[in-house]
Amino acid sequence: MISVNRRTALAVVALAGAAGLWFATSGVAAGPSAKHTVTIEATSYKPETMTVKKGESVTWVNKDPFPHTVTAAGNFDSKSIAANGRWTYRTTKAGEFPYICTLHPNMKGTIKVE
Amino acid sequence: MNVKLLLAAVLAAPAIAFAQAPNDAQIAHIVVTANQVDIDAGKFAQGKAKSKEVKDFAKQMVTDHGAVNKQAKDLAAKLKVKPEDNPTSQSLKKGGEENVKSLKALKGDAFDKAYVDHEVVYHQAVLDAIDKTLIPNAKNAELKDLIVKVRPAIDGHLQHAKMMQSKMK
Repeated sequence: MISVNRRTALAVVALAGAAGLWFATSGVAAGPSAKHTVTIEATSYKPETMTVKKGESVTWVNKDPFPHTVTAAGNFDSKSIAANGRWTYRTTKAGEFPYICTLHPNMKGTIKVE
Repeated sequence: MNVKLLLAAVLAAPAIAFAQAPNDAQIAHIVVTANQVDIDAGKFAQGKAKSKEVKDFAKQMVTDHGAVNKQAKDLAAKLKVKPEDNPTSQSLKKGGEENVKSLKALKGDAFDKAYVDHEVVYHQAVLDAIDKTLIPNAKNAELKDLIVKVRPAIDGHLQHAKMMQSKMK
């Protein structure tokens, strides 16, 4: 009985670990209210400005058929996000972070971290 | 700034002129041709550019315009529109061939500068054509929508090329 319980417990731990890994690698924010998405479409960020809480994550989803970047010089840089690709950034400090696409510098967005 | 080179770039990119309002089949052809001209220049520059920045830009032009062309061709097929050749497409094609021809004579920094100068002029000409002719004349809503959605990318290329150009002065 004990050994079955232990095995069940081990299985649960293993599953939880796998799920954690899946979340970590799939770019889905782990926090309770931390799932924020900016859509990249028609060479623009939608919404252009987003406000999040410190520690929350933002995922950019590129729906254009060509690559874009999310670049706030000195703070964060996605490098090239492929067509249909995504990139997640977990915020670490409060402030206002304007960013651009280095490939299409007319694309501008801002993340406000409270 | 090398005035002679800039002048050559301007002359090689004639203003995109229209004798009369193009129909949707002609607009589709112009879109595909305008993309193809920049893909051809990009493919050439990718192999010949000196600086990594210019090489990367050329590569980006091949990728971006290639993706837009796939969208345009897919849409034309879906709408059963057969892109129709027209004087504007012909002049775009001729301008593109002349540009590559004049680039062939250059190398090093002079090549990079001439390529970037032309990219600035060319994307500005395409933007003007989009605003003044293609969007106002496109009848089919999906065709119009595709051009509207592509416009910011063309503007992005223009700003990117201008940024590189300003560093070359």
